[in-house]
Amino acid sequence: MSKKIKNIILVTILGITTIIIVMNVVYNQSHVNVSEVSPDITLLSQDLLNDFENNELEANSKYLDKIIEVNGIISNISTNKNKGIITLSDKDAMGGVICHLSSEEHTKIMSLKKGQNIKIKGLCTGYLMDVILVKCIIIN
Amino acid sequence: MKTTYILLLCFLFTCLLQGQERFLTKQGYTSFFSSSPVEDIKADNNQVLSIIDTSTGAIAISILMKSFLFEKSLMQEHFNENYVESDTYPKATFKGKIDEINKLGNSEETITIKGDLTIHGVTRSIKTQAKITKSQDNISLKGSFPVNVSDYNIKIPAVVINNIAKTIEVTFELDHKPYKN
Repeated sequence: MSKKIKNIILVTILGITTIIIVMNVVYNQSHVNVSEVSPDITLLSQDLLNDFENNELEANSKYLDKIIEVNGIISNISTNKNKGIITLSDKDAMGGVICHLSSEEHTKIMSLKKGQNIKIKGLCTGYLMDVILVKCIIIN
Repeated sequence: MKTTYILLLCFLFTCLLQGQERFLTKQGYTSFFSSSPVEDIKADNNQVLSIIDTSTGAIAISILMKSFLFEKSLMQEHFNENYVESDTYPKATFKGKIDEINKLGNSEETITIKGDLTIHGVTRSIKTQAKITKSQDNISLKGSFPVNVSDYNIKIPAVVINNIAKTIEVTFELDHKPYKN
């Protein structure tokens, strides 16, 4: 009889511990690591911008929360709070694709020049005047 | 002859002034903070678009909900999918007016901003104080205001009611530069 009670207690404790561990793992789930994940979509920065300019609703459902690799020409390089920001756009275009680099990529922006062609991978969060990619990684 | 000169000069001046009427930032900062006995939740957004027209004092701000980055990915997921439903309502906007923007000097001053804030498809008029510093090539706005979650029809499930504050503190820092066309 007492053995049975002991068993029940043991199983309950084990059960509770497992639940706590699982909950913790789920709760502390890490963010997507852009550098380790291959892109969902690869395209030219101008095509990405055109898609948003033509039909924002459709583009939202196509690109939001996706990891996108864009190829384009650097029109501006700046930093904000120690994070690099690279704008890709064609000469005459109003808008562009603004890539907010992840903090590990900061040292790389020193070697970049305006007018240069670049490949960048990032997470698309939407379109304001420009398409915005965050957590970007420079590919080359 | 003199009047022509004066007219020409006036014309020139208005042209010059018009060139600096609009101030813009594409990397404004907004964060929100929820403090509850169970946990503190904070999210940052560094991609805020804000435009000020200094001739009228009008200000327009657009914020992408998905640009709010959280410490924990699960919080971010819940925020986007369950609370603000960012697939349906991808943006929050503010359209308002800064009173007496042209009377400002170069030092930091406190001003009142009034306007309509739209979050989660619900528009409410708000009024807040902000610190403004205005110069020839910069307008900086800083401030914070409370947002009642229930005002914007955002439903918090009973299970996490103690984890999320009923009033969220929204902070903004917008550094506008003259807009070149």
